[in-house]
Amino acid sequence: MKTDNPALEFDGVEYAYPNGPVSLKTVRFSLPSGSKIALVGPNGAGKTTLLLMCNGILRPDRGEVRVHGRPLSYDRAALREIRKRVGFVFQNSENQIFAPTVYQDVAFGPVNLDLPPGEVREAVHRALFSVGLSGFEKRPPHHLSGGEKKRVAIAGVLAMDPDILVFDEPTSSLDPATAAEIMDLLDELNSQGKTVIISTHDVQLAYSWADQVVLISEGTILHQGTPASVFTDPDLMNRARLTIPPVLELFMTLRERNISIGDAPPAGIPEMAHQLEQAIGCVSRRTAGHIYVVDAESVSGDDIRLCAAERSITHIGAMGTAAKILAGTAQISLDFTYGVIDKCLLKSVMGEDTLIITSGGMIERVHERIRAFSREHGVEIPVSDLTGQTSPVS
Amino acid sequence: MDEHLLDDLALNNGLREVDSRLKLLLGLGAILICVFSPSPVTPLIIAASMALIIVGMARIPPQEYATLLLIPVAFALTSCIVILFLSGGGEPVYTISVLGFTLTATTASANLSILLLARTFGAMSAMFFIALSTPMIQIFSVMKDLRLPQEFIDLSMLIYRFIFIFIGEAIAIHNAQVMRNGYAGFRKSIDAIAMLCGSLFIRAWGRGEEMLIAMDARCYDGKFETDTEELPVSLRSLAAIGSYLAVCSILSLLFSGVVLFP
Repeated sequence: MKTDNPALEFDGVEYAYPNGPVSLKTVRFSLPSGSKIALVGPNGAGKTTLLLMCNGILRPDRGEVRVHGRPLSYDRAALREIRKRVGFVFQNSENQIFAPTVYQDVAFGPVNLDLPPGEVREAVHRALFSVGLSGFEKRPPHHLSGGEKKRVAIAGVLAMDPDILVFDEPTSSLDPATAAEIMDLLDELNSQGKTVIISTHDVQLAYSWADQVVLISEGTILHQGTPASVFTDPDLMNRARLTIPPVLELFMTLRERNISIGDAPPAGIPEMAHQLEQAIGCVSRRTAGHIYVVDAESVSGDDIRLCAAERSITHIGAMGTAAKILAGTAQISLDFTYGVIDKCLLKSVMGEDTLIITSGGMIERVHERIRAFSREHGVEIPVSDLTGQTSPVS
Repeated sequence: MDEHLLDDLALNNGLREVDSRLKLLLGLGAILICVFSPSPVTPLIIAASMALIIVGMARIPPQEYATLLLIPVAFALTSCIVILFLSGGGEPVYTISVLGFTLTATTASANLSILLLARTFGAMSAMFFIALSTPMIQIFSVMKDLRLPQEFIDLSMLIYRFIFIFIGEAIAIHNAQVMRNGYAGFRKSIDAIAMLCGSLFIRAWGRGEEMLIAMDARCYDGKFETDTEELPVSLRSLAAIGSYLAVCSILSLLFSGVVLFP
């Protein structure tokens, strides 16, 4: 999905709030199109200020912001166009949802883009489907849970079909499972080709989710790079008032104690567990379990249930809205609804067979992740289509 | 979620899927008949039938309905007692003396206060029928059908949405105050309520600003979607409501002479 064309560029951007201290000081960076970017920094670092410039809500005092190579201009017509392309989801969904029903709120953007009524309806239904809230149209927002409100807020932006999505602290004030599901949703949107930018101070989240991390502190960019390069630098972490993600910290501590657990920082728990297993010398002679993958859009729920029963599948996970809806209607009981690939990898290493139901661009995602894990650790994990042939990856 | 009881009940009531225009027609028609009825009988019939509709068809728990109804009826009852003793005409029926004042209830004043009580009771029942069967969001689409100005409807929708946000904020502030002894004693209560109002105002202001940004971020151009997915009016319901109102009007004419003291 990643390309070299920058989706968003900040070029020497400076900003101070009226009568306030300087908030951003010569900020310069560029974000590749189609990538997942985490803007990480402590409270008051200027994250929100910076994000509000992505769609022209705030105008820099100096410097310029470019979207797909075109500098932002701040007249009415240009702003309309830019806000259609750059969707912004606020930290507090309560502030973003202002209509009396879910339908009306999601329709707000399309209606103001002057779409004809039929297309408005279609856009709303599509957006609600993709966040998994079909059937919630007539609900008033004060009857929704925090996670549902977040989804409505995301649907309201998706209905305008933007190609860059900006989320200010998407997981703040959500419970861990809901937060993980929201992050999976962002993954799904990214797999549809959208550039996703989030701001957060959750280091673990940024480390495990992002392709690129932009580290910001006191209005200046400290570093931009891969998550591993940012989070393994204790000096940078200190300056940005952040902590090292637990997995990485464990990895670094073990290395300091001269326990050889490889050079590459682990991408997640499956890698860490594997590296540890090798370090303490009890390499398992278990044969890895199968990971079956099935496309929710091409196979019926009954077939999946039948196939799963035929094989010795112990755990089933669903990724993405289409898969979860399918599992719901076919009454397939799900063991994993978030962090699915990692959990299935862990089970597979233990020799258990698992099934991942997913769809669209997420299928390739699954293969990629398993391939990367197999390559790095020399474990052969057989991945196969539930209904088709086995294709071992190594 | 006791803080928005009425709306919660309305959102889950058994008649939610019925066309809101029909429900308004029934409610408003019944209110008008009650108010113009010369005899207390028809309003009482309307009150009884409304209670049946609300409990039986809209599936509102009888307990909830009784509690709701008690509030206006208690008010009406006290004012009717005042009218009973303070208006005159006709023969004296009952006399009491309070602190040296002699209060007399006459036949005319008894008739008047009974009529008023019945009218209030009936009209309130019809009013509650609307409130309990028609959620606010359906009333917005009726407003649109009635060609009310779009600005007026947009504003009412925003106000409706924000009522619940402010109830939430007010409760949060109130809890924070109570936890720190805010309402212990009269003076402290006055201080605390003043602070609550002040900070609620400031928060309201802030919310307004944030909402403007949120609207701008989604290309606000003066347009607001109104929910217009109306079900086709069922002719049977329309006929049923028409005949109910007709029967009530005829009854009110038939019973026009029926009073407590002829």
